[in-house]
Amino acid sequence: MTDFLFDVIATELEDAVGRENCSTRTIDKLTHSVDYFWLSRMWADRGLRMPEGDFVVAPKDAKEVSAVLKIANYYKIPVTTWGAGGGTQGGAIPVCGGIVLDTKRMNKIYDVNEKGMYIECGTGAIYKHIEWAANEKGYATMHYPSSLTCSTVGGFLAHRGIGVSSTKYGKIDDMVLQMEVVLPNGDIIETSPAPKHAAGPDLNQIFIGSEGTLGVMTKAQMRIYEQPESRQFRGFLFHNMTDAFNAGRELLQKFKPSVMRLYDEAETASLIKKIVGVEKKGAFMNIAIEGVAEMVELEKKILLETFGKYGAEDLGSEYGEKWWKEKITFFYPGHMMDIPQCFGTMDTIAPYDKIENIYWEMKKAIETNFPQAKFIAHFSHWYEWGCMIYDRFIVDGDKVPQDPHEAFRLHQEIWNCGVRTALANGGVVNDHHGVGIKLGRLMKEQYGPAMQVFTGIKKQLDPNGIMNPFKLGL
Amino acid sequence: MQFTQKSKEHIDSCRFCWMCHHVCPIGNATGLERNTARARALGLSLVMRDAIDYSDDIINNVYECSLCGGCMTDCVTGWDPVMFTKEARLGAALDGKLPDYVMTMITNMQKKGNIYGARLGKALSEKIKPLKKSDTLFFLGADARYKAPKCAVEAIDLLKKLGVSFTVLENEPDSSYGMDFLVSASAETKEIAEKCAKVLSGYKTVIFYDPADAKIVKREYKEWGIKVKADVMTFAEFLAKTLKKQKVKKSKFVFTPQDSAISARDLEETEAIRTVLTKIGTVSEMLLNRNYTMLAGNLIMNEYMGDVMKKIAKNRWINAQNADAKILVTESPAEYVMLSKTKPAGIELLSLEEAVLKCL
Repeated sequence: MTDFLFDVIATELEDAVGRENCSTRTIDKLTHSVDYFWLSRMWADRGLRMPEGDFVVAPKDAKEVSAVLKIANYYKIPVTTWGAGGGTQGGAIPVCGGIVLDTKRMNKIYDVNEKGMYIECGTGAIYKHIEWAANEKGYATMHYPSSLTCSTVGGFLAHRGIGVSSTKYGKIDDMVLQMEVVLPNGDIIETSPAPKHAAGPDLNQIFIGSEGTLGVMTKAQMRIYEQPESRQFRGFLFHNMTDAFNAGRELLQKFKPSVMRLYDEAETASLIKKIVGVEKKGAFMNIAIEGVAEMVELEKKILLETFGKYGAEDLGSEYGEKWWKEKITFFYPGHMMDIPQCFGTMDTIAPYDKIENIYWEMKKAIETNFPQAKFIAHFSHWYEWGCMIYDRFIVDGDKVPQDPHEAFRLHQEIWNCGVRTALANGGVVNDHHGVGIKLGRLMKEQYGPAMQVFTGIKKQLDPNGIMNPFKLGL
Repeated sequence: MQFTQKSKEHIDSCRFCWMCHHVCPIGNATGLERNTARARALGLSLVMRDAIDYSDDIINNVYECSLCGGCMTDCVTGWDPVMFTKEARLGAALDGKLPDYVMTMITNMQKKGNIYGARLGKALSEKIKPLKKSDTLFFLGADARYKAPKCAVEAIDLLKKLGVSFTVLENEPDSSYGMDFLVSASAETKEIAEKCAKVLSGYKTVIFYDPADAKIVKREYKEWGIKVKADVMTFAEFLAKTLKKQKVKKSKFVFTPQDSAISARDLEETEAIRTVLTKIGTVSEMLLNRNYTMLAGNLIMNEYMGDVMKKIAKNRWINAQNADAKILVTESPAEYVMLSKTKPAGIELLSLEEAVLKCL
């Protein structure tokens, strides 16, 4: 791009969003070039510059987003939407430069609707802020991921996020009622007024998980819930993973706890020991049950009976309560894996008939092919039909190549190995962190000819291919 | 730009951590990613690695932080963005790279004795002149003297009404709060602090009207090895003690305290304002209170980021409205000024002295 054309585009963008909301400052470009993705962190740690946007724009509403997208389409400039940058998959990194569209000025909370039980807000709102808004009126969002404080509503929607209470309250895609979306051509649309209907396919679900490749979600109605009258925790220790899976599956045929988290022996002996204080050997499982007090008591009885049948040791409420209190502590620097380690979370999901096998196969594949890597896992989101694995590989810093390109290569190889093993055994590319630039290449391997549905939608909505190129395998 | 080992460690921990994103009043007001602790840390970490220069752009970003400590308070592992931000400001000063707006305030300090380059107003001057000598000094501070003189006048009126023997200095020395904010513990900052300490040491008791000055004297002076012989306390603390001994009829007013970030986090003082307000009425809280308070304004930053300071104050008003607050009470002159500029209809703003005077 010539300097002249650069200035032409810059002034048009300034006209669209206001001069103060269109930046070419180094600090703005830098901070939008590194997200939570390990590769971007490693790159920056080695003193290298990640790909940067040429312009960082912060529109205040759908109208301004529309104006930006029209300019981008005319000049055929890539647009990468940025929420708060807490994503792990490199989904928000402007790999092709162009425009970074930061959504955080669209953070208005329009309505805490107590009758409809939802909050209507701009998608740039940090989720914790809408939790505060709900709390101020005596409600809660029940969406409690570790990134609650550092991710936007739009960010969670863009990659199909999930919180720790998902078993009872669902994923983010269960929590949204209606959305306003700006299409790549600048048209502003609204999805159906209610999420359950027979008026054709669900428009919400086309854009949720699309990671900024099909448009920009600008406003959303997110569900709120009454605060539970009672919330009780119970920790258990299982002798083996098979018993734990069977116990969890059976429990879910009877009722839905809010939190269900099973840690394999390796993670019980490392993270759970460190943060929660469980010293015993075995697989630790934490259950939270909540709601009306009388029902909670009944569910507790069923829980103890069910898990008792599988030989689970009842550890009482102490560890579970500690876990709830510390649930975000796990993710602070000093507690969490960090550079110079090389690490990643290869979460996948499958029905109960496959999930345990996937776990063992992924563990074997990583430990055999990459003996320098540790493999730990927990199972944190459960359904009546199956559950997900949150499995992580960790390579200590002294075993990570010093050459950044070699470190990059090692990272990609481990990921290929882990995800391909999951796919070969009935899993998916990802459960709740999304795809981004990290896993795009593997989408075609999961979907095969079904991928043409995604590429067809992409081609129709974004013929110039400006929206978040190379993400989601599109 | 040279960083200490401690700063390097904190910068490298914060550069890839987003956990305090939600508590930054500046980031919440601007919606800009650069206004986060992690963005500042990332920029500085790249400076440390010689990947980028310590340029005007990065330095300006370092001055877009209010040092309110929200991030530090929220961090469960104790990383401290305030510490490395202050060190980066000192580094910019030592490298001769201070932005013009900072240099203007420093020049004001050198020439006029206060960073605002302002003179004492007539009304406040006339209020001070008749005060007799006393072994108790009521220290007003630069923000109150030059930016919120109405508050200073009313605070003096309140102390008089309570029968307190005190004096106020017409030529009050600067505490060095402003310089510490701008360039941290530079030699010039400490020199100003030493001069002030000498004056303060001539009194038995010093009551600090502004929590910002109290914080410098109680915390930073100690760290810099500067001794003050007098007993020092905040205005809220003094009022709480004084009112305890007095018979005051409880009013029907419901007050919502706006905790000053400095009082709550740096001085760990959140009860004094509540003791005062409970004595004269009823207290109703906002969701984000005490340590978790949100900054409502900073007058130094208002000199170069006025629009953002207004947005910060507006955001705090939204918090107050969501809590159905009727009367918001602030103990900080800076916050009083910014909240006054942005006050919505249907809710009252009072300084702590105004709240007490209203009920006496």
